[in-house]
Amino acid sequence: MKRNPDKYFHSIEIVEEKCIGCTICMKVCPTQAIRVKNEVAVTIPERCIDCGECIRVCPQNAIIPLTTEYQDLKKFKYTVALPSPVLYSQFGPDVMPNDILLALKKIGFDDVYDQAWSCEVISKAIELFLEDKKHYRRPIISSTCPAVVRLIQIRFPSLLDLIVPVEYPRELSAKEIKSKITDKLKIPEKDIGLIHITPCPAKMISIYEPPTREKSHLDGAIAIKDIYGALLNALKDVTDSETILQRSGGIGIGWAISGGEVKGLKFENCLAVSGVKDTIRILEDVESGILSGIEFLECLVCPGGCIRGPLTVQNPHIARTRIEKLIKMFGEKSRVNEEKVKKLYKKGYFFFKKRIDAAPVMPLSKDPSEAIRILKRREEVLKELPGKDCGACGAPDCRTFAEDVAKGIALIDECVFRIIQKAEVKHKM
Amino acid sequence: MNNNSVLFEEDFKIKGWDFTNAGEASLKIKNYLKEVGIAENILKRVAITSYEAEMNIVLYAKEGTINFKVTPKKVLLEVKDRGPGIEDVELAMKEGYSTATEEIRNMGFGAGMGLPNIKKNADMFVIKSEPGKGTKLNIEVYLK
Repeated sequence: MKRNPDKYFHSIEIVEEKCIGCTICMKVCPTQAIRVKNEVAVTIPERCIDCGECIRVCPQNAIIPLTTEYQDLKKFKYTVALPSPVLYSQFGPDVMPNDILLALKKIGFDDVYDQAWSCEVISKAIELFLEDKKHYRRPIISSTCPAVVRLIQIRFPSLLDLIVPVEYPRELSAKEIKSKITDKLKIPEKDIGLIHITPCPAKMISIYEPPTREKSHLDGAIAIKDIYGALLNALKDVTDSETILQRSGGIGIGWAISGGEVKGLKFENCLAVSGVKDTIRILEDVESGILSGIEFLECLVCPGGCIRGPLTVQNPHIARTRIEKLIKMFGEKSRVNEEKVKKLYKKGYFFFKKRIDAAPVMPLSKDPSEAIRILKRREEVLKELPGKDCGACGAPDCRTFAEDVAKGIALIDECVFRIIQKAEVKHKM
Repeated sequence: MNNNSVLFEEDFKIKGWDFTNAGEASLKIKNYLKEVGIAENILKRVAITSYEAEMNIVLYAKEGTINFKVTPKKVLLEVKDRGPGIEDVELAMKEGYSTATEEIRNMGFGAGMGLPNIKKNADMFVIKSEPGKGTKLNIEVYLK
C-alpha cells in the first residue's frame, strides 16, 4: 500500500484514470467531501470521514480502499490474523467460527486471534465505565466505528468527551497478542505483523493515524473480500476439530450487527443507531441536548452494522441472519471472568492513551466576522440558484455550491442553469 | 461596530401539528451558530431554548414564527404564535406543570419542562401571553 506521509491519511483513493466525473459518489457523500473538477472527482481531505459510501456506489470501480494487500504480509516473519466478527457471517450455514479461524491459519497466518473475544471483554469494560462514571454526562457514545469517531471530530467536537475512552476490540486484541508473542516466542516486534481482517476501509485510519494513541498495535488490515477466495479454498481442507481457537460466545459475535454492542450491556436505556444519515441526526439531537434518558449510544455508519461494510462479500441480510443464529448457538451469556476484567480496568488497561482531538470543519472561517460574511453571502447566493441540486457545477447540492462561491473557490456562473438562462436571454435579443 | 448591530438574521415559519418539519428550525439555528464558530456551551443553550420554543408552537399553536438574530454581544430569539395562549403564565413556568393533552403526552412531550427549560438556559427571558390569541417569547443568550 502506498502512503503519502505529507497528506492527511485516508483509506480511500480515487483513481483518476478510471473516474469519468459522473457525480454519483459526490451526491452520496454524507459530509459533502467530494467535488467534481475537470471531470474528475476529488476529495476534500479534512471533510472525509472514511465511511466508504462512495466506494459502494461508484459504477466505474474508480474508488478503491487502501487496505493492506496480501503480498504485503511477506515483510513480516510472524503474522497474526485478527478477524472482525463479521467474517463469521460470510460463509454458508455449516461453516463455524472455529473452522474460519483454522482456515486463516491454513492460508498462511502463523497465528489467529478471535477478536470477537475482545468484543466480549470490552462489553464488560464499558459496563464498568458506565457504573464508575454514574454522574457523568450522558449518553456515553461507542468508540467502535472509526468513521463515527471521525464524524464527531469534525462535526460534533463538543461530543468528544462523551466517547467511551475504552479501546476498541481490534486494538485490544492486538495489544493482548503482541505482548504474548514478544514474551513467549522472543520475536522482535518489528518482525511481527498483526493484521486485522476488515469489513471496511475506515479501520485503516485507526491503524495508521489512531486518534487514541501514538501508535496502533496493529500493522495493517486486509479486506474480507480480498481473502475470501483463499479462505473458501482452505475451508475445504479444514478437518481438524481438536484445535479450539474460538473463545467468544454470542455476546462477542453479536458485535458484527447493529445493536450487538448494546446487547452485551446490562443497562436498559441504550440506543443503537446505524447508517450515516441516522447517525448524524442522532448526534445532532445529543448536541442540542434534546435526547434524554439514554445511557449508552451505539452508532455505526454502515446501515445494519459492520456486516454491511463496503468490503464484505455476503448479502448483508443473510449475514445478519447468520450472526443471529450464531448468537443463539453460542449463547447470550458473557464468557469473560468479571473479576479479571475489573482488576485490569482498575489498572487502566482498557483506556485510550490520549484524548481524541477535535478537527472542526463547520466554522466557515477562523475569524468570526469573516465567518458571518461567508454565511450571509452563502444565503444570498443560495437564493439566486435553482435549488435543483443537479450537481453539474461540481458541487453536490446548491447549498454547498453557494458556500463554495461565498468562500471564493467557485464562481456563481458555473451553475448550468444560469448558463442556460443567459444563453436564452442572448438568443431572444 | 455598534454592539446592537445585527450581524445575521433569519425568520422561520412554524406550523402547528407539523411533525414533518418539527425541530428543523432549531437545527438550522444551531448549525448557523456552529458555522460562525460560537462556543459550545452557548450553542447548546441556544439549541435547547430554540427547540423548546419551536416544539411549543408545533404542539400547541396554529402557527408561529421564530425571528433569530445574532449581534456582537448576544443571540436573540423572538418567538410569536397564534394559538390558545397561556391562562396562568406564572403557573406554566413551574417545572412539571403542563396543560398537554393525552395525545401530546403519548408522543413523549408535555412533561411540563419546556418553559422552565427555556428560562434555565436563557440569560434573558420574557413571556407575554394573551389567552385565546397567542404567546410571545423573547429569549436572549449572551455570547460572553
